[in-house]
Amino acid sequence: MSKVPQPSELSNWYLPGILKGLGYTFTNMVKNILNPKKMSTLNYPEEKYKYSARFKGNHILTVKKDGSLRCTACMLCATNCPAQCISITASEHEDPTVEKYPINYEIDILRCVFCGFCEEACPVDAIRMGPEWQTPGLAGADFHYDIKKLAYRANLKGGIQSSVDDKERHEAGI
Amino acid sequence: MPKCTINGKEVEVKEGATIIEAFKTMSEDIAHYCWHPGLSIAGVCRLCMVDVEGARGPQIACNTVVKDGMVITNQSEQIKDIVRWGMDFHLINHPLDCPICDQAGECGLQEQYMKFGQYDPEMNQQKVKKRKVVDLGERVVLDSERCILCSRCVRFTDEVSKTNELGIFNRGDRSEVGTFKDKPLNNKYSINTVDICPVGALTSKDFRFRQRVWYLKNDDTVCNGCSTGCNVKAYFNEEGLFRVKPVYNEEVNGHWMCDDGRDIYKYVNKEHRLLKAKNNSGSQWSELTAGKAMQELHNSLFAEIKAAPEKTGVVLTGQYTNEEYQAVFATLKELGVTQAFHWNDTDSDDFDGLLIRGDKNPNTKGLQNAASAFGALKSVADAEAAIASGSLETVMVLAPENIAVYSNYDKTFAALSKAKNFVWFGANKTECFETTNSSNTWMIPIKSFVEKSGTFTNHAGLDQTFNYVTTVVAGALTMSEAMTLFKGETLEFDLRAKPMTSMKNNHFTLNRGEL
Amino acid sequence: MEVKILSEHYDKPSYKSLDGYKELGGYEDLAKALKMDPKQIVEDVKASGLRGRGGAGFPTGVKWGFLPENGEPRYLLCNADEGEPGTFKDRLMMEAAPHQLIEGMIISAFAIKSHKSYIYIRGEYNDSIRSLEKALAEAYKDGLLGKNILGSGFDHDMDIYVGAGAYICGEETAMISSLEGLKGQPKLKPPFPAIEGYLGKPTIVNNVESLASVKYIIRDGVEGYRKHGTEKSAGTKLFSVSGNVVKPGNYEIALGTSMKTLIMDIAGGMKPGRKLKAVIPGGSSTPILTADEAMSANMDYESIASFGSFLGSGAVIVLDDSNCMVDMLGILMHFYHHESCGQCTPCREGTGWLNKVVHAILKGEAREKDLELINGISNHMMGKTICALSDAAAMPALSFLQKFRDEFEYFIKEGQSKVRGVGYAQMHH
Repeated sequence: MSKVPQPSELSNWYLPGILKGLGYTFTNMVKNILNPKKMSTLNYPEEKYKYSARFKGNHILTVKKDGSLRCTACMLCATNCPAQCISITASEHEDPTVEKYPINYEIDILRCVFCGFCEEACPVDAIRMGPEWQTPGLAGADFHYDIKKLAYRANLKGGIQSSVDDKERHEAGI
Repeated sequence: MPKCTINGKEVEVKEGATIIEAFKTMSEDIAHYCWHPGLSIAGVCRLCMVDVEGARGPQIACNTVVKDGMVITNQSEQIKDIVRWGMDFHLINHPLDCPICDQAGECGLQEQYMKFGQYDPEMNQQKVKKRKVVDLGERVVLDSERCILCSRCVRFTDEVSKTNELGIFNRGDRSEVGTFKDKPLNNKYSINTVDICPVGALTSKDFRFRQRVWYLKNDDTVCNGCSTGCNVKAYFNEEGLFRVKPVYNEEVNGHWMCDDGRDIYKYVNKEHRLLKAKNNSGSQWSELTAGKAMQELHNSLFAEIKAAPEKTGVVLTGQYTNEEYQAVFATLKELGVTQAFHWNDTDSDDFDGLLIRGDKNPNTKGLQNAASAFGALKSVADAEAAIASGSLETVMVLAPENIAVYSNYDKTFAALSKAKNFVWFGANKTECFETTNSSNTWMIPIKSFVEKSGTFTNHAGLDQTFNYVTTVVAGALTMSEAMTLFKGETLEFDLRAKPMTSMKNNHFTLNRGEL
Repeated sequence: MEVKILSEHYDKPSYKSLDGYKELGGYEDLAKALKMDPKQIVEDVKASGLRGRGGAGFPTGVKWGFLPENGEPRYLLCNADEGEPGTFKDRLMMEAAPHQLIEGMIISAFAIKSHKSYIYIRGEYNDSIRSLEKALAEAYKDGLLGKNILGSGFDHDMDIYVGAGAYICGEETAMISSLEGLKGQPKLKPPFPAIEGYLGKPTIVNNVESLASVKYIIRDGVEGYRKHGTEKSAGTKLFSVSGNVVKPGNYEIALGTSMKTLIMDIAGGMKPGRKLKAVIPGGSSTPILTADEAMSANMDYESIASFGSFLGSGAVIVLDDSNCMVDMLGILMHFYHHESCGQCTPCREGTGWLNKVVHAILKGEAREKDLELINGISNHMMGKTICALSDAAAMPALSFLQKFRDEFEYFIKEGQSKVRGVGYAQMHH
């Protein structure tokens, strides 16, 4: 249990209160001007915070060597998703060794809580949480991210390759 | 009646019952794949091993008849070890692709591995490769790698459908289920092979990849595809219904159902349904809620009919419940209407010897029973003639739900809609609704069979009561409700949520631990 | 010493024809039997102690006694699908003395009151098929088959059915399936063939040698037959000796003769400079015996069983110190993998698995613990299936591993044979 400090009798008055507050402001202002490196805030958007490599940002659907989606539409991510923001439509793939693939994969990014459960549930490294966190959009922007955006957006440069490959798996006889 | 002891509990079984049947009557767990109560004994999976006191060694429960005083157990360490290895033998060549496999969630291998297996796999060799995505026929796809060769499907085509399309080809671990080139699996009961397949080797083309099974709830109802009235389970979620499976009923359908019956869910889904009541009292269609429409009908027609009941007729089809027929006939009696017509495009006594009957209405018998108290039913052709001659001015039609089997649906609609006042009660919509010949057309959305509780009387006169499964069209009425409103009375609603009767394969969030 | 009863005249070419056979006393016993009471013949066969010569060693007369007395038609099937690796005695019998088998079968059929019999013969035995077909035609012509045989009022018809070369069809219920036109797969027991067999009717299946022996029980009487052999293993039996001996071949000896005599004297002993290493006593599916065990064993059912093996079909495979046991097991496992019918899971998957593991050892890809795995797989294949094929595959695997474990361990560690000093590739270049 934390104790709430009781305000002193003096701070009930207007002038002592405001002077104390301004005093705090000025002390920090002087400190920051003299030693800007120790400043605990950022000048966003000119400066940006560097997150760790494990940061859970926008989702990436990985691709196979030939550039097609790694996802097998097993729907374990959608099943595991606590926000129920993933919707997948599966279909028959023409290659019988692939068998099943998503013709539609949508994430309602505004519902997503970025918990990373989808990434954990995925048995084939088809979905990862990427480093991007800036996903602004103007009014009317589409926040339902589809395959095009999730797998092939410009900054992925043709797609991120999955570490699990069907062909290798089949050759290994698994 | 021999008595035996199973896992320390005494049980009495029927004469000639096998040990596995005794286990089933006691709901004791026993591993098995090839045994199926509706098929002959194959004894090939070798998993249902039990210790019988005094026997030479472990016996298979499916082919050992219970004798009086037998002491049987499958809880000994030796049997558990045998079953664990049996599971391993089944799994060494089974691909580990449960995420892609459609059977995941209702798979015999998964369930029994969790119950009886749970070991570290020893296999580190190449698995045997077999054919994948093999088109067996119109409705079924085979994945040979997933097949555990329990031979249930082969025995089904052998013994039940008696069409013998399937066989096991090759020997040893190269064995594969298959068909001969010129004889695909195209019988009228082919999807039953998918139901009895304990793994994901046989999948139905209709259901394949459409939903993961753990997203679906299910509830029991009665098939409305023909007058046999098979007991079925409908699988559904918020988006609608996805498939139908048979439920065991020895009196009616045994373990099976036909492939046509598998399609009944399709007409129930929203895209085929009349969602709102429609009215055309001039040249313009207007939409309104069903309740409001019935009230307006009461205001505009009820008194008129009562004044001249001989100019009113009702056309009935055998697709409604007994309760609804009673409500309709009671209303007609109150109004003094005496003319009732029977519309049935599939009036036949055909029977294929197993389940499929020529009369494609689930409740023709129920309609006849209800009508017997009312008076003779005339044919729909008489109604058409009476409308043409002008002797019938007001027609109420209880339209069929299963449109596909009504070959003269459009023609009959056009002929009946020539009446001055034309009231159409129906669950479905079709294109022919766009053009009506009547100056006063009403269309009232009715609940489909999965949305209501009621009773169907099948061809043999057996009354089968079924319960509400799910709601697809929120605004639809049952015929009983429609009649109540038509009489100017008010409906009482129970707004409390209905408890689910079956929660087993249920919504993933409720039962996630068991998956 | 060889005791030639069945094989007395096998060296005479004339014995193949009906005339030659009759000259040497053929079909006299049939005439004698037809005057007997069928029940008496069954009792005599029971009393003679004749045991099935096909492998299982089940008393023939007892088997006949299982037939229900319900007036249904019965079938007699002769199992001439000699598929056990190492066995070649039935072939000799059918080629050198086809009438001996036919006579034995007619007597047996008369004893069990069957009016129809089939000889199910393996497809690879071209000469045997031709020889039997010729003999059958002669017998029909001479009135020895067909209606009213030798004026006794007994009718019997016999046919030859040629199999398609599946080892499993030597199993009696698989043979019945094959004969019925189905896939050659064993049937679930019970019901046993004596109750519900071919076409659902009571059926007796006997080996070629067992049926031929019936003739000599009639000829010599119970006492005469029991003169040879031991109390529990009566009579004589043909043994097919193969492998690294000087004179491989079929030898008829009285049961109970020592294996040492059979191998070292009758079959000419080991090749010069070679030492006996092991003996497979009854066909490839029986557990192997080491040299010491083999030299102290007698060729009868009980003695071999006391060493944990079986007399089986009498195929004695002799191995000397130049044979690599790992390689031998690889060959056997390949055979059983190829021949498993695929019906029961433990056998279907187990034979394939064993084959893969043993070949992994041969190719130097195995782990130390794979030997335990072989034991585990084999133990869980034994006695878990409809027929004995999975036992047949598991027993050699278990016994090879038990008795020659050092060779397997050496192969895993060094990637080459302890005996031959080379790897798998060089052994099978």
